[in-house]
Amino acid sequence: MKKSSNFKDYKKEIMGATHDDRLRLALSRSIKSFRANIKDALEKFPHTIDMAEEVLEIKKKAIPRMEELARQAIETIEENRGKGYIARTADEALKIIADLIGTGKLIVKGKTMTGEEIGLREYLEEQGNEVYETDLGEFIIQKMGSRPMHITSPSIHVPREDVAHLFSKVIGQEISVDSDIAEIVAAARDFLREKFFQADIGISGSNVVTAETGTLYIIENEGNVRLSTGAPPVHIALVGMEKLVPTISDANKVAEVTWRYANYTIPSYVSMVSGPSKTGDIEKVTTYGAHGPKEFHVIFLDGGRTELAKHPVLRQALYCLRCGGCLYECPVFAVTAGHFGDKYFTGIGAVWSAIISGDIEKAASIAYTCLTCGRCKQRCPVKIDVPEMIIELRKSLAESG
Amino acid sequence: MDSELVPPGLTYLADNIVSSQNILGVTREQSARWAQGLNLPGESETVLFAGCGYQYSGQLEALMSTIRGIDKSVIGAELPLRFARFQKKLGLNLPEIYSRVLARNADTEAQPLKAAVEVLRKIGVEPGYLAEEEPCCGAPLYQAGLHRKFAENARQAYQKMKSAGVKQVIGIVPYCTHAILKLFPDYIEGYDLEVKHFLEIVTENLLEHELQFPREVRVTYHDPCQLVRYLSMVEEPRQILQAIKGIELVEPDWTTREYATCCGGGGGFEAVFPELSQVLAVNRTRELLETGAEIIVTHCPGCIMQLKDGLRELKVDNVEVLDLTQVIAMAIET
Repeated sequence: MKKSSNFKDYKKEIMGATHDDRLRLALSRSIKSFRANIKDALEKFPHTIDMAEEVLEIKKKAIPRMEELARQAIETIEENRGKGYIARTADEALKIIADLIGTGKLIVKGKTMTGEEIGLREYLEEQGNEVYETDLGEFIIQKMGSRPMHITSPSIHVPREDVAHLFSKVIGQEISVDSDIAEIVAAARDFLREKFFQADIGISGSNVVTAETGTLYIIENEGNVRLSTGAPPVHIALVGMEKLVPTISDANKVAEVTWRYANYTIPSYVSMVSGPSKTGDIEKVTTYGAHGPKEFHVIFLDGGRTELAKHPVLRQALYCLRCGGCLYECPVFAVTAGHFGDKYFTGIGAVWSAIISGDIEKAASIAYTCLTCGRCKQRCPVKIDVPEMIIELRKSLAESG
Repeated sequence: MDSELVPPGLTYLADNIVSSQNILGVTREQSARWAQGLNLPGESETVLFAGCGYQYSGQLEALMSTIRGIDKSVIGAELPLRFARFQKKLGLNLPEIYSRVLARNADTEAQPLKAAVEVLRKIGVEPGYLAEEEPCCGAPLYQAGLHRKFAENARQAYQKMKSAGVKQVIGIVPYCTHAILKLFPDYIEGYDLEVKHFLEIVTENLLEHELQFPREVRVTYHDPCQLVRYLSMVEEPRQILQAIKGIELVEPDWTTREYATCCGGGGGFEAVFPELSQVLAVNRTRELLETGAEIIVTHCPGCIMQLKDGLRELKVDNVEVLDLTQVIAMAIET
């Protein structure tokens, strides 16, 4: 009977979220602006739709070759004087990173879903480090002691008035609940400013990585990633192995489709990082460690991905660009946000839960919360058939007894 | 042995399908009552597949309202749906609820089916109907992940239709139509039933008719998930509605066609999350009401039930929900 009581707890959480008016308010505002923005972005750049088809083909070819591409990327990154690693499990990834960082360090961190997946921030804090989330949304939820509720907008569930209230408490600067959003943003900027330059380590994820040149693409708008990966002397990047593609030309397409379907015409910044900073300005002698980091480490996380890649139906989950568009179209997400999910959300999150975290009960709860209505598939740039995956997952769950 | 991981709401539906060939676990005689007086032939090469949703719409509404009540209470819907003994303790005597519904609503239920028959006859199609012999498509088994049971049910359903001499099936419930059209072939070797949805059969023909609604109305259309995203019927309902004089078709801003919002009643979700399902029904109803429509038209028994509930919850009594077949029947008559 343990299992059904777990389901009962989960259902209680879902229903609690459903009756949360603040959550509903925040979500309805976000969904409305997302839809207006993506309509605008796709009308302005209509070629994106065909490009998304190309991206699907790129992913279809790259996913079965993940391992090979990761090895090629590591070789290249090391030629570039960085260091590359493959971590088979979340624990392995944490250990590699912990060995690099040690304890008592100041860390500035950009948003990384893969970091969320392995519980990176919490782990580094346990090791006695001071960690600052620098993405505004992540900063908000870190200070709230909450967890991300959306993959690109982690604090989607918090209305502006609540953020003002929170910042007044934690930043030590009085911010009125009537403040406009710009004032709230400015307060976060002031607070984090000096941390970037004091930090020993900067951590980031990456949206797409090329095997051929070992280049990490990092898409952002706030500029926090530029600072986090540029100012501290060490840059550590954690990347899911499914993010690898062969060439720069492939990666350009993946990146453009990702940000467009994440509702941006063009993001303010796309960083391309291939190695530590260097200069050859004195006598043409290449010297490492100029203004940017002197050390550059990239950890590629398997964490069940190579296994998942072998599954004929569920492998589609690895095509996901993490644009987050599907979440805005999920009718359940519109009332529950990330409570319908675990580390990753909604229907596709069930697949990640089952395969990546291996938590079958959690996966079952999420899988049976999916309506299989299929609107996410309609929104998805790479046409991931979430209902098909959900049915497949339920089949293996239901008939496992 | 099926896994404990399947939520009780779905195992309830599944057990009923396996034991009684319908999702409610009631007698098949109840299902066929709507067709009394229509003189539909019991043996025919072409049959209308009526499906649980339309045939038991009254009983389903009563069941959902009861289950939602329990789900909102401290008890939660899990236990009552798992244990028959618990149902009695709660005073949840389902057979009795169903028979009360039957006594009350015998005439008003299954109107969409009667209208469908009327429309088919108007365009010169005389469908048969298997009545008590109509098998259950078993779609909720598939949705629940119980594929061995679904496969077994599909083979039996196929045999039953074959031995009744059926060659063509006119599907009308989106879930059933999708199951017997798209899923059955994967489970049955040499599957040879020709399956078409009602709209495929009537649309072209209807557009040649003079269609006139009895009054001037603003109408909005709600796309059922299975119809629009699984069976790709985007244009047909709109062509028909636009061809009816007196009807002004108004659609929601974004949430229409392939982007229509689910009514919250998909694939047994309503049995697992009765209360949340109602919240989703209210949300969808609100989107549709923003169009200013006086009639919400849709074409799925599940959606009808959900949207009616949405109106009730929102205390809106000047808007009605009708099936597309009812609207067509009204427009052909005048």
